[in-house]
This record gives sequence, C-alpha cells and structure tokens, in this order.
Amino acid sequence: MSAEPLWSENLRKVYPVKGGLPVEALAGVSMNVRPGERVALLGRNGAGKTTFLRIASTLLRPTSGSIRVFGYDVDKSPEKARPYIAVVPQEGKPFFHLSPREQVYTYLRARGLSRETAHSRTEEALTRMGLTEVADRLAITLSGGQRQRTMVATVIATEAPLLFLDEPTIGMDPFARREVWSSLRNLTVKGSTILLTTHYLDEAEALSHRLYIVERGRVIVSGTADDLKRSVGGTVKVSLPNSPGRAELFRSFGEVVTDGDGITVIVTPERLGEVMDLTAKSHLTPSVGPVSLEEAFLRVVGRKIDED
Amino acid sequence: MRIETTEGGARAFRGTGAFLWTEVLVQAHEELAMATAMVTQTVLLVFVYILNPALIGVALVGSVLFSSFTLGQRVLNEAAYIRIDHKANDLYLAGPMSPEGYFLGMAAGVLVVYLPPVALLGTLAVVVAHLSVGTSLTLIALASVVWLFAASIGYIFSTFFRDNRAIWAYASLFFNVFGVLPPVFYPFGFFPTYLQPVALLMPPSAAAALLQTRIGAAALSTGQVWVALLGLAGETTFVFLFAVYWAHRTVRGT
Repeated sequence: MSAEPLWSENLRKVYPVKGGLPVEALAGVSMNVRPGERVALLGRNGAGKTTFLRIASTLLRPTSGSIRVFGYDVDKSPEKARPYIAVVPQEGKPFFHLSPREQVYTYLRARGLSRETAHSRTEEALTRMGLTEVADRLAITLSGGQRQRTMVATVIATEAPLLFLDEPTIGMDPFARREVWSSLRNLTVKGSTILLTTHYLDEAEALSHRLYIVERGRVIVSGTADDLKRSVGGTVKVSLPNSPGRAELFRSFGEVVTDGDGITVIVTPERLGEVMDLTAKSHLTPSVGPVSLEEAFLRVVGRKIDED
Repeated sequence: MRIETTEGGARAFRGTGAFLWTEVLVQAHEELAMATAMVTQTVLLVFVYILNPALIGVALVGSVLFSSFTLGQRVLNEAAYIRIDHKANDLYLAGPMSPEGYFLGMAAGVLVVYLPPVALLGTLAVVVAHLSVGTSLTLIALASVVWLFAASIGYIFSTFFRDNRAIWAYASLFFNVFGVLPPVFYPFGFFPTYLQPVALLMPPSAAAALLQTRIGAAALSTGQVWVALLGLAGETTFVFLFAVYWAHRTVRGT
C-alpha cells in the first residue's frame, strides 16, 4: 500500500443517450490525492463530481483515461482496489428497519471485520456522530439528519484507507456537521485519506487541505482555499454603495463586482490602504472583510461559464 | 493507522454470512410481510379443499414449492428497493464484500426469514399426504432447488428496474403466472397433454411433477422424469451461475 491513494489522468466519461447526443460528464480529469489528505471536489450540479467519485469508487466504468487507487487500476482490477475504500453514496440511506447500531455493526461485519473490532468501532462511531441516544431505534423513526449521520457513522467506522464521501453532511444541522468534520480530521490523523464532494463551501474550506473545482467535466482550478481566493485577484473585499462611475473609479485596484445597489472591490491586502484612502476622500463608508470561498468559487466558475 | 482490511482481491462469496444476517434483521422487522407471504397459498389451498378435498395433499406439497418459488419475488423486490431507494448496493459493493456474497446473502436471508411459514406448510404436507422420510427429504431438496432458481432469477430481474413503481406491476406477474398456472397445486395429469413438456421445463411444476409421481398423484414416464430432473438441474445451475456473473457485471454502471 505504498502508491498514492488516488491518481487519475485524463479521465473521461461519456454517457450514451438513447435517441440523443452523448453527454460528456468528464472531459479529461487529472488529479492526485496524497496520503492523509482531505480533498474536496467542488462544482455546480451536473459538473461531474459524482461521476468522478463513482468511477474512483469502482461503481462506474470510465470511457477512457487512467485511474488508480493505491496503485491498482480501478478500471481493470476493481476487486483489488475495493478492500481499500469505503463510500458514502449520494442520497444513500441506512436500512429503515435496522437501528443505527445494527446498521454500523452489520456493515463492518460484511466488510470482514472481527466481532470485537466491529463492536468497538460501532460504539465509537455512534458516540462520535451523537447517535447513542437513538442507537437502538429503527432508522425509519429517525430524522433525515440522523439517518445521514448513521450513513456517515457506518462509513467512518470502517477506517478504510480511502474514503469517498458524496455530500456527506447534506441535511445535517451545524452541530452535526462539525461533528462530522472533527471525525474526518481524526480519521486522516490516523492515516486515512478522504475525497469528498460538497455544496457547502464553508465545509470545503474548514475541512480540506486542497480542493478541485470541476466545471463541465474539467478541473478548472486546483489548490488550497487560499490559492482559489488569490486567483480571483485578492483575499480582501471592500463593499461600497454603488453610484454612476463608481465601479470605474475602483477598477484599477482589483476586480469590481456590481451587485444590486452595491459594488464589491476585491483587492490584495497590500492595496487595501489605497482603497481606504480613496473611500475616505469620496466620503464613503466601506465595509471590509475577507473574501469567502463561496465568493471566490462563484467568480471562478462564473468566469469559466462566461468564457464558454 | 488502525486499518483492518484484506490485502489483495476480494474472496469469492466474501460477506455472504454477514449480509444474510443483515437481511434477517431487516426482514424480521416486517412481520406483516411474513404473514402476507402466505396469503396466495392459503387461498389456493382453500379452493382445492372446497373443490376436491382428496387433492389437498397434492396441493400442500405444491404450496411448499410455490412458497419457495415466490421467495424469488421477495428477492427481486428487496434487491431493487435497496438499490433504488437506499443505494445500499453502492455502500456494500464499493468495499471488500463480494458481489456474489451480496446476492447470495440477500437470497439466503430472505429464505431464513420466510422459512417458518414454509416449514409449517411442509409439516402439514407430511402429515396430510402421509409423506415418507425419503419423500419428505426429496421435498426439501426440490424446494431448495426451486428457491435457488427463483432467487437467482429474482436478483437478475431486479437489476433491470429503475423505478419501484414498475416492480409492483411486473414482479408478481412472473412468479404468479409460473407458480400458479402450471400443475403445482393440482395433479400433473390435469394439465393439457400438449403443454406437459413445457410444465416439465418450468422448475416449480417440474419439481411438483416429480413429487406427485413419488406420492402416486401423477405417473410420469421415465423419459419425463429425466426431462424434469435434467431441466431442473440444468436451468438452476445455469441461472445461478449467470446470477453470480451478473452480480459482478452490474456492480459497475457503464
């Protein structure tokens, strides 16, 4: 188990459509995930995230390109890659007629873990996910968030070397989401590697070492959250009320985005002073804050859409 | 790193026992389903008893085989439901568990849960039709073969559905048509002569014909006995092996 947890090169997936044009879901995705990393795959709906995750987790065949899990060719030898992985499927649900305790335990047993290990990991995962109080209730009686926590508990309890999580915290409250983040961090400390998709940009920022943004089947940006923010021209945003000519006035400092009655100037910290001087001279009251990952994401993806 | 996972490829039938137990737990919570599983058999037994009480022994033997056959419908429903609604196949199969272990564990779990009512019918058949030990063991063996055939067919069929509503319409069709129309609940000789070869090639009616011959309710020729035996063995082996292949094949979408 010495090779990289996940490596892909020029991965393509084309879905045939009966009586229509084929749909290219992945148009040459190359990425690598290093041991112990938490990597987020971001993108709009239909960008290709789930397709990539399903191929990487041996559930879908690629059209072309290469993909390896711990050195094993996922397309040619999926059975060799499977012992190393665990998956939270998108919209997956626990068995309604099992309790969370039964769900986690029987799943671990099905993966071949011993009774003792399965038992101890089940209890640990249920505790971590805050499910101990409902551990013996049938899943059908649980809330949507509790069911999703059961799914995550089921998979994190495997402590598999490589975990794929497709929107793992969907439907969870903010407290539960943070429990998941903490558990995932803990897993990578122990040596697991994680690739997740999410539409919560705060989650991607808080959780991932690196992220890939996919748009129309292509990786358009990869790097850290800070890299992504820098790619939009700065990490600080200055918001001002809009008026005729004001956007032009500030355009020399960085990217200016008009949003209803206001404008937002994205600047580097080094140029913030100049912008503040100008706002003072213009008798404006600016609000200053850091550029969020969501704003950077919207800029980067929006720019790509405009180009296309 | 506390990783407990098997190096290398998955073993054949790995996870069968664990998934069997999972299915037993899941199905055991649905007591009503267990009760309704016996409705068709009970209704047919009542009809036969009213129309001709002398045939109740034949009908009871047939009800055991029919019950084994309709377990395939349970497997179909379960496999499709947990794949379409729960994505449980993704959860289980993207891991060290073998696809055939998933299929066989599910089929065996369904069998274990529905065994008590089937055993009750079997006991009644033994008592009412005065089955010898040898015939009783033959009944168990043939019911097991019919179960394996039906479970394999059920699992294969389940992979073709994308919507649970379609299953409601079609699943019961196959199992009721091939379990009720041919001579399973009534003597083989009552079936039109020109259709008898077809009945001998259908596992539930072939098994019923063999058992009816043992208890004197039918008189198959030696040739017909061989057709029924070879048909049952060949079809079941083929369908089971195909289900194992298909379980592997359908883990991954294309």
